[in-house]
Parts: sequence; structure tokens; C-alpha cells
Amino acid sequence: MLCSLTRSHLFSRALPAAAVLALALPTAALAQDKTFKIYGFGAKSGVVGIFGQQSEAAMQAAAAIINRAGGVTLGDGTKARLVIEYLDDRCNAEEGINALRRIASQNDAVVAIGPTCSNVAEPVFGILQKKAGDTSDSGIQFPLYTDVAAKGGLASLSQWAFRNVPSEANMYKSIFEWVKATRPELKTFWGGVEKDFAHSNATFGVIKTQAEANSLQVLGQSEWLLNDTNFSNQVREMKRANADVVAISAHPFTTCGVLKEMARQNVKPKLMVGLTSSSSMETLQGCAAQAEGLIIPTSFAPVNEEAKKAAAAVQAVNAKYNMDLHNAAAFENIFTLKELVEKQKVMGRPDTVQADRQKMREALASMKETKGLLGKVGRTDDREAIKPFLFVQAKAGNWIVAHTPKQ
Amino acid sequence: MDLLDLIDLSQSLIDGVLFGTIYSLIGIGFTLIFGVMHKINLSYAAASIGAAYLSLMLVALAPAPVVYAGAALLGGVLGWLIYLICFRFLPINNPLATLMSTVGMLLAIEELISHLTLGMPQNYPALFASTNIEIGAFFLRGDLLFVFVLGCLAMVALTLLLKRTRLGLATRAVAQQPVAAQLCGMSVNATNAGTFVIAGLLGGTAGAMAGAAIGVLSPLMTLPLTVKGLVVTVIGGLGSIPGAIVAGLIVGGVENLFQFMRGVSERDIYVMLMLFAFLVFRPGGLFAAPGGRD
Repeated sequence: MLCSLTRSHLFSRALPAAAVLALALPTAALAQDKTFKIYGFGAKSGVVGIFGQQSEAAMQAAAAIINRAGGVTLGDGTKARLVIEYLDDRCNAEEGINALRRIASQNDAVVAIGPTCSNVAEPVFGILQKKAGDTSDSGIQFPLYTDVAAKGGLASLSQWAFRNVPSEANMYKSIFEWVKATRPELKTFWGGVEKDFAHSNATFGVIKTQAEANSLQVLGQSEWLLNDTNFSNQVREMKRANADVVAISAHPFTTCGVLKEMARQNVKPKLMVGLTSSSSMETLQGCAAQAEGLIIPTSFAPVNEEAKKAAAAVQAVNAKYNMDLHNAAAFENIFTLKELVEKQKVMGRPDTVQADRQKMREALASMKETKGLLGKVGRTDDREAIKPFLFVQAKAGNWIVAHTPKQ
Repeated sequence: MDLLDLIDLSQSLIDGVLFGTIYSLIGIGFTLIFGVMHKINLSYAAASIGAAYLSLMLVALAPAPVVYAGAALLGGVLGWLIYLICFRFLPINNPLATLMSTVGMLLAIEELISHLTLGMPQNYPALFASTNIEIGAFFLRGDLLFVFVLGCLAMVALTLLLKRTRLGLATRAVAQQPVAAQLCGMSVNATNAGTFVIAGLLGGTAGAMAGAAIGVLSPLMTLPLTVKGLVVTVIGGLGSIPGAIVAGLIVGGVENLFQFMRGVSERDIYVMLMLFAFLVFRPGGLFAAPGGRD
């Protein structure tokens, strides 16, 4: 009796329920498996591969946070898991162009973050359609939201190019105004520049202009190349000038080489200013003792809870990576893009890809402000960012906040 | 040109010549392998820097001299591995085969370093880094002098090894007449492998000295050292060890001198012009007979 009742119960209740479940399961699984991809590209290998590796780690960290919170909501109301795919351009212009072409040819590519090197960004932005909607321009119509390439004014090359990099002109203006206000005894300036790297060279022009604008007498400059190993001539020139302020516009390897040579030749300026890109652990790993006192403006430091959490999230992806001003932008970009995808009701389907790209471009162009790790990030009409920044100083093997300017 | 400029010019020359010791050491490695096998090992400078990187594992455990010795030994091991991978089993009659395999090895080593260190510059221990000798208006860096002296000692040791030992005799015999040497009972493969190990020992020393002189190791160093090593080898004369020694010092001096006189953006033009001048007017290098090589 019991057996027959149970069997009867099974057939009358459980089987229809199982059938409903069986029909429902594929749909649920489909929703769970639905993905929305954000592409990235930059130098992941080669001597500046750290930029791309760290950017990818930051993008993965941001995507993991978003996915834990349920993923991204697409235009049809479904939830999708955010997926990051990062391509390597080796900081090489040709490979960067290839990477962009490859991304743009994918039917799941709606937007990309990158590249990391200014010498790649310039030609890559150059092959994008210059003016959106210009039918006579056959340039690639694909929105890019750059995180690292920092050379000034690059986004003006195309209306499909957007950047979330700090304005170095503002940063160095602010740092030299601060120096003028707090260290009026400093009168003379000497510059050192890594001449063959687009970012260092372009930023040196900014540094020099701002030093002059703030009453520092420019005595001259020393030049070297990215992979130079002997800096004796350059530092001897520096020593002879005996300037109060020495600014070094170079990446960590040569910054360390020059700082070590300065220590050997006993060159001790009253103040040293460095390039934004050198405010990383690379510099401290290479020459912490010689970098002591070096001041650099940066758009990232773990100074608030959100920034600390973001830095921890990157380390959770891979303990060997840190958050710095460059990959902090990549982290921010993922959250901004997620918001824009939801706001613009991007569908994320192969048949809507061109329309989705257009929607993303329009959304990026209409942004007036975004949320950054150090506070609100303003946007300019030429698709650049106005990021909050602070000055960090090398002290006992760490970067500590030297000053937070009013912005 | 005032007196200060003259002093600076002389100082540039001195610094360059001292730094040129590293170029000499790299040049010797290239020339030694070419002399024995008539092949260019383009991965030599990268392996030298790779050995210095590997010796970083000793930094926390041992003083700087032990780290340098470790770099030399590891350079020897890398040299042997490169021989096995890039030369031993490749068709020796095809000159492009080994050239391309060593180019591949150069890129592989550079990429490996970049990946393992994330491209971050690594502090390398220097001896006498804070010692500077001042002679009148001139200034000699203690660490560069040390590099110079150690480089000279390494070169003397190599010369003695080649001239006074059975291994050296075998190396010279294989270099001059490999078939005859084989008929006399010498193993060409073992001698070639030995040559790579010796060149590797020297390369490891050069890598360590480059790290000590700069104070930092970076994958950025591999390509420039490869180019300078090749320039030194050609100017010194392919296969000539004394030539490589002198050419290294000349290239170091000329490079720094032109940097002082014409600036960093023109510096390499003059070094390359010097190379072309040698190729045209003295193709056999510094120590060749006036008629040049056949």
C-alpha cells in the first residue's frame, strides 16, 4: 500500500515537477553562462610588459568584483558574467594596430581598454575614424578607453578614442606651484630626460615649462636613451650645474641608473622630481636608497578604503602585481564601462555589435564625470580625464603621501 | 673649449674606456666561439645577463665576490646548455641554422627574464661603489676600476688557459683544423662544448660586472650589449682575442667621447661609422694582416 501510494505520488507530483525543472534548467544555465566580454590590449611581454600584466590583473580584479555582485545587466534584462580578454602588443606600434584590428573583427567586441604605451596609442588612435559618423572616413569605428598611455592630448586624434589617464600638465603645474610656495629658496632647475621614449620625452617638455613658469631658472638638461647603462657624462653635467632642483623624466630602469650615478658623483640636489610612471614599486625595487626623497605626482595611492580594497583585489588576482597609477585607471575603467553598458542597454549579441559599439561611443562621449578611486574624475570636451592626484615621496623604501593638493 | 671642457672630455674618455671592459668581455665570448666553430652565437650577451640574473639567488646568502663567482659558474652552465640547444644537433654546414637558433635563444632569454622579474630592475651588488679615486681634476670610479681589473684578470686567465693547457691546445687545434684534430684523437664536440663553457664563464663574469657597474640589472641590457659585443668582435677581428680586448676599450671610449661631444642622439652614429670604416678599410679587424682576411 505504502509502495503503491509512493509510486502514485511519484508519478502524479514528482515527474511533472521534474519535467518542469528539466525544461527550466537549460534556461537558467544559459543565463548563468552568458558572458559579456571587455577586451584589453597593451604590452604584456617585452621589457615594459609589466604595464600590460598589471592592467590585465586590475581588469580581472574589477571583473571578479562585478561578477560576485551578479555580473552585468544587458539590454534585454539578462545578467551576464563579465569576461576579460587581454591581447599583447609588446609596446610595438604594428602589433598594437594588429591587436586593435583583431579585436574589432570579433563579433563580441563592443569596447576595449588600452593600449599601455604612448608610441602605440598614437598610431592606433590614428587608424580609428577621426570624426564619428563621417561616412567619407573609412577608419575603424571602435571605442577605446585608454588606461595607461599618458602622452598628452592623444585622444584628440579620434572621436572613438577616450582616455582615463591623468593630465600631467596639471600635475606638474601643481607640483611646481607647491614647490614655489613651500620652498622659495629653490631657484635653479636641471632636467634629465630619456629622449627616445615618447612619454618621457613629451612629459619633460611639460616639466620644464612648469618649472620655468614657477620662477625656477632652467640651467640645462641631460639626455639619455631608454636602454642606456652609463650615465657618467650626463651626471657630470648635472654636477657642474649644481642646480637646486633636478627633475628626471625617465622610466624606472634609467631613473635608477641616473640616481645611482648621482650618488657616486655625490650630486645632491635640494629637491628631486620624477616622472609619473616611476612612482611604482619598480623604482623602489631598483634603487630605494638612492631614490630617497624623490617626489612624484601620481593619480593613485592607497590612501582611502576604496583604494586599499582595490589594491588588495589586484593582489588577490596575483600576489606579484601591485596597483599603481596606471592599472588603477584600468580598474576604474571596468566599472565605468559596466555602468555604461547597463545605462545604454547594450545587447551584447553578434547581430547588434555595430549598434552596441556606437552606443558605447556615445555613452563615453556624453560622460561628464566618472567615479575614481581617489574621488570624482572630470571629463574634458576632448575626451580626456581630469583626475585627482597627490604627490608621493620615496621614504625608507616606500611611497608615502607628501602632499595632497587642493583640486 | 675651456679647461673645464677639456677635463670633462678626458674624464669621458676615461669612464668610457673603463666601461669598455664589459664590452671587451662580451666581445671575447663572441670571438672565442667564432674562432673555434666559425659560428656567431647571438644569444651570448643575453646569456651573460641571464647568468647575472641567476646569481641574484645568492645575494641574500653570500657577499658580492661569491655572487660574481656564482654568475661566472652559472654563465658556464648556460653556455653549455646553449651549445646543446642551439649548436650540437643542428646542421653545422648550414650557417643560417645556428644563427637563427641563437637569435631565438636571445629573444627567449630576454622574454624569460622579463616574465620572471616582471621587467622590474633588480638591484645588483657592487664592490667599491662608494669608493672614488680623485687624481687632480679627474675622478675614477672605484667600482669601474674594479670591473676593469677583474676584466683584465679574466682575459689573462683566458689567454693562459688557451696557451698553457691541454684544453686550450685542443681548442686551438679544433679551431685551426677540426678534421686533423679529430684524427689526432680529439673530440670536436667535447672541445666545442668546452669552448662554450669557457665563453660562458667569461660571459657570466661580464654580466656580473655590467650589473655591478650599473648597479641594476634589467632585460633592457641584453640587446645593446649584443650589438656592442658584435661591433667589438668585428673591430677587433673575428676570432682575435687581443683584438676583442683592445676593441672593447676603444668602443667604450669612443662611445662616451662622442656622447660628450655630440650628444646622446648622435653617439651611436659615430660608433657605427667606426664599424663601417673598419669593414671597408680593415675588414680583418685591428689585429689582422694588412691584406685582411681571405
